[in-house]
Amino acid sequence: MSLSRREFLKSSAAASAAAAMGMTIPATLQAAADTAESNWRWDKAACRFCGTGCGIMMATKDGKIVAVKGDPAAPVNRGLNCIKGYFNAKIMYGADRLTQPLLRMGEDGQFDKKGKFAPVSWKRAFDEMEIHIKKALKSGGPEAVGVFASGQYTIMEGYAAQKLMKGGFRSNALDPNARHCMASAVVGFYQTFGIDEPSGCYDDIELTDTIVAWGSNMAEMHPILWSRVTDRKLSDPERVKVISIQTYNHRTSDLADVEIIFSPNTDLALWNYIAHEIVYNHPESIDWDFVKKHIVFAASPVNIGYGMRKAGEKSLTPVNPDGSAGKYSAKEMQIINKEMSKVVSAKEAPALKPYGYKEGDVMTNKDAPLNNLAHWEISFDEYKKFLEPYTLDYVATISKGNPDEDINEFKKKLQTLADLYIEKGRKVVSFWTMGMNQHTRGTWVNTLAYNVHFLLNKQAKPGDGAFSLTGQPSACGTAREVGTFCHRLPADMMVENPKHREITENRWKIPKTTLNPVGNQHIMKIHRDIEDGFMKFAWVNVCNPYQDTASAEHWIKAAREMDNFIVTSDGYPGISAKVSDLILPSAMIYEKWGGYGNAERRTQLWRQQVLPVGDAMSDTWQWVELSKRFTVKDVWGEQPLRGKNEDGTPKKLPSVIDQAKAMGYTEDTTMYEILFANKEAQSYKVDLNSFPQQGYDNSEVIGDSRNVEGSDGKVFKGYGFMIHEYLFEEYASFGRGHGHDLADFTTYHKVRGLKWPVVDGKETQWRFNVKYDPYAAKETKESGNSHAFYGVLAKELMQGDLMGVKDKTKIALKNKAKIFARPYMDPPEMPDAEYPTWLSTGRVLEHWHSGTMTMRVPELYRAVPEALCYMHPKDADTFGVKQGELCWVESRRGKVKARVETRGRNQPSRGLVFVPWFDEKVFINKVCLDATCPQSKQTDFKKCAVKVYKA
Amino acid sequence: MKLANTIIIGLATATLLILGCSAKPSVSEESLGLRKSDLYTESNATRGDQTKYGTSVAGSGHKIPRAFQDAPPMIPHDTEGMLPITIDNNQCVSCHMPEVASSMGATPVPASHLTNFRPVTALSKDGQLTANGAVVTNTSSEKQEDISIKSTDGKLSNARFNCSACHAPQSEGIAVENNFKPVFTSKDGANKSSWNGAKMLEGLNTAEGK
Repeated sequence: MSLSRREFLKSSAAASAAAAMGMTIPATLQAAADTAESNWRWDKAACRFCGTGCGIMMATKDGKIVAVKGDPAAPVNRGLNCIKGYFNAKIMYGADRLTQPLLRMGEDGQFDKKGKFAPVSWKRAFDEMEIHIKKALKSGGPEAVGVFASGQYTIMEGYAAQKLMKGGFRSNALDPNARHCMASAVVGFYQTFGIDEPSGCYDDIELTDTIVAWGSNMAEMHPILWSRVTDRKLSDPERVKVISIQTYNHRTSDLADVEIIFSPNTDLALWNYIAHEIVYNHPESIDWDFVKKHIVFAASPVNIGYGMRKAGEKSLTPVNPDGSAGKYSAKEMQIINKEMSKVVSAKEAPALKPYGYKEGDVMTNKDAPLNNLAHWEISFDEYKKFLEPYTLDYVATISKGNPDEDINEFKKKLQTLADLYIEKGRKVVSFWTMGMNQHTRGTWVNTLAYNVHFLLNKQAKPGDGAFSLTGQPSACGTAREVGTFCHRLPADMMVENPKHREITENRWKIPKTTLNPVGNQHIMKIHRDIEDGFMKFAWVNVCNPYQDTASAEHWIKAAREMDNFIVTSDGYPGISAKVSDLILPSAMIYEKWGGYGNAERRTQLWRQQVLPVGDAMSDTWQWVELSKRFTVKDVWGEQPLRGKNEDGTPKKLPSVIDQAKAMGYTEDTTMYEILFANKEAQSYKVDLNSFPQQGYDNSEVIGDSRNVEGSDGKVFKGYGFMIHEYLFEEYASFGRGHGHDLADFTTYHKVRGLKWPVVDGKETQWRFNVKYDPYAAKETKESGNSHAFYGVLAKELMQGDLMGVKDKTKIALKNKAKIFARPYMDPPEMPDAEYPTWLSTGRVLEHWHSGTMTMRVPELYRAVPEALCYMHPKDADTFGVKQGELCWVESRRGKVKARVETRGRNQPSRGLVFVPWFDEKVFINKVCLDATCPQSKQTDFKKCAVKVYKA
Repeated sequence: MKLANTIIIGLATATLLILGCSAKPSVSEESLGLRKSDLYTESNATRGDQTKYGTSVAGSGHKIPRAFQDAPPMIPHDTEGMLPITIDNNQCVSCHMPEVASSMGATPVPASHLTNFRPVTALSKDGQLTANGAVVTNTSSEKQEDISIKSTDGKLSNARFNCSACHAPQSEGIAVENNFKPVFTSKDGANKSSWNGAKMLEGLNTAEGK
């Protein structure tokens, strides 16, 4: 904002000033405020909650936040927030904020795993972390040290964590809760485009004619985007069509022209049905010019399992005669055994016929978790052969999700759906989030979405495109772009790629071969490694993995019963804090400088608005302080890794101490000096006399009036350089010139976010489209093509057919994208006689994730004080349970009690119940199954089988 | 009763924290967080806090004070039979539009709801993104001209059609005390929005700290 007229803000002059600015403030709105808010300080910030990334205005008075309003200047939300957004003002003020580190100890003051908590100093807390990290490194090498990271990290926090974990500890066991949230979307992007994140932007909503929500309750989960959809729909109700494709009825259907209720997992079949309609019945609708220039067809194996534990893993041994195995009951093993092999069902057999399977065949799943990303090029004819089974009859039969709906009515809806996609000149946007991502074939179904849009040339164009919405506020900006996943480095680089490691090592000024090439400890693997007793130290950052992970009983027990040390940094004591050994008080969102990146590639930064409570300090500070405890000789000597090399020798990381010395470091140089307080960092100066630092707190940089005793027992006075800017700029340097260009730190403090790539100060609306994306324009100078899908990952493919590779010659597909043949398959657990009902889980509008923040806001608590079990009234009768009374919801893994709701905002058909997961007292993840997409490792929280009975 | 318990536990914890380093290990796992019962087994003791929405009849005059100045008010009346909001049937507006609200004893929607803040988004002839007819370089509003505030001529703004996105009925009690203190700048701020006219632009120039 470059408003120059200060008098503009005085209410007496405002009307005339507004007129001078060309704005129209209606006469009816001109009533001035009763009292001037002259002692309020307004500043902009990004909302704490979902991936929409709304802009908020936040008022501070006397060091406290006193109000929040929607930012009229923010393009995402234009002056409006949802109910959670407005209560950003109150989330930091719950009375049980953590204010001091708490350590479990015995009466003698020593750490005791079985002890109660006692308050300790930050110095003692870091002493304990240092002891236990060193112990873990000694026990199992870098892979025994893990971090539960977050899609709610600020960009700077994620980058600091990544540097110390991967560059310092040489551990890639850093994986975010975003793994549970959009990993399938990411692998879908990688496989299809060769680069992560959406083509389009939210302006697609205003520019489209058709909005299709796939397994996504946008009305509750992305309410501000839904308000834009609503605005669009109401502005032209005849032309604009809204289709709601869901497994149960909810608020998103309230606005829809057509609601399609499908049986869980059959979204795979629905997408292929639309493609079948295009290819078999409307071949004229295929834009062959576009397809030939921009697309190849591809296939991949189908026997890839379900991402569950595998036979032989420590916690699955011994296998007992009663069917149980290790720590898993016989009932649990009924499902887990399908990881090794399964019987092809009648439901999936027609779809698997082109792959040579028939009903009753035993499908043996490949035990090759690292190779299951493999895919190869096939011909269009082969793709057509793959599509053959997806006739209206077959798809309608397997996908009708409401047993009480007439099959012919359902078929009509499917036809309408296909017709809307196919209609020439009709723009279509497909939106999805958790329904398609939390799915044991999540990567597959993500790629199937692009298929349909590509065939019709309705992708990466204004108002046209398949658009993966994201769940968390910085799942894109931090988890994905910074790369706080076990397999990633900044800017779409991968730990397994030696060139990418070298680029990163050079940029971080650490020795070559410091970085660990093995990155396979995704979030479920971290839990399983803890249960197996291998991982000895884990640190929870900005997430709640002991509430948010399926098969939860296993993990909370592993945390408490195994020989390990679990640390949780949080604002409030959630379930993860409760099961930890050390709890650290974290500064919350507006108590620190930060930045988030939303689902339309928009990066947004904010300043510290108030001081943290008690002795709480930011997660960035905690990482940087921890780095002071580790020297070159502590972490850069030879380190063991699990497994063996091809020649049979044990895997290990080489010592890089000599190289470090050659670089001018000594054995005693700390990771703090190398990674965080180096010369480059020191060049970012404290400047309290100019924008953006002037007038704002900066606890990490200059300390603050609380005089918190730091990690050395002395009052922390600040790092003395602008560490937030340093971390941001160093991170941003990875992407600039590589399709991920960000603007500079100060610019982001002036603007309401910019959509990367930001080239020559200009954001990018539609990626890959020559008209809007300078990178695409550069790539097509010679070809003159309309698009360039310029991502570089997996852009050389072998040739084959549906059954496998036939010719190992790799053919490059520069600037092309892929259409994948991927069939309908059953999920590993489906309702049966004993567990007759589907369970789906998710969020509610008023609560964020596990509720640690929103349950502490009285208005939000009172709006939804408990997680209800939503079900059909007839099912309630069948189960013998009554509206408003308690029922048990029980699976093979565990049970919870919840109150029955047959009349609420969610109205499932018979055969499915929905229970949200925000409520600690209705711990639904004890019931859920930890099966994942084997490619993305994202858990399917949307389907398992349960029985419901009176409590 | 729950409130009383929460306060007692809160005080106990606070006392411990004040004692600082000399404190004995006496903060139990069960005392932390919202779930005080055993975490590892699901017994009868563990159950959600029952929802008890207000049963006050719409129009009876009962109001819930706003959480802070210009916060969205919560719904003080029974909503049974009023939801869902569909494209053909938004029962909220039948009582809350300004022309009928006072006669219905309802809180009228404020000026912000009769305002469209989103510029007309379209494509130019050559396909460039436009806002209110002007080609957009960056959608981020860096200049005053980029902010678009237009009257909807007394119609409810389409963007605000989903009333339940911001307003919710309220059950009883709290999970934990909240120390947030609102500051009302207008006399009737707890009951009425003052976010209108010039106030809609207040504080937006954050680069100059105003």
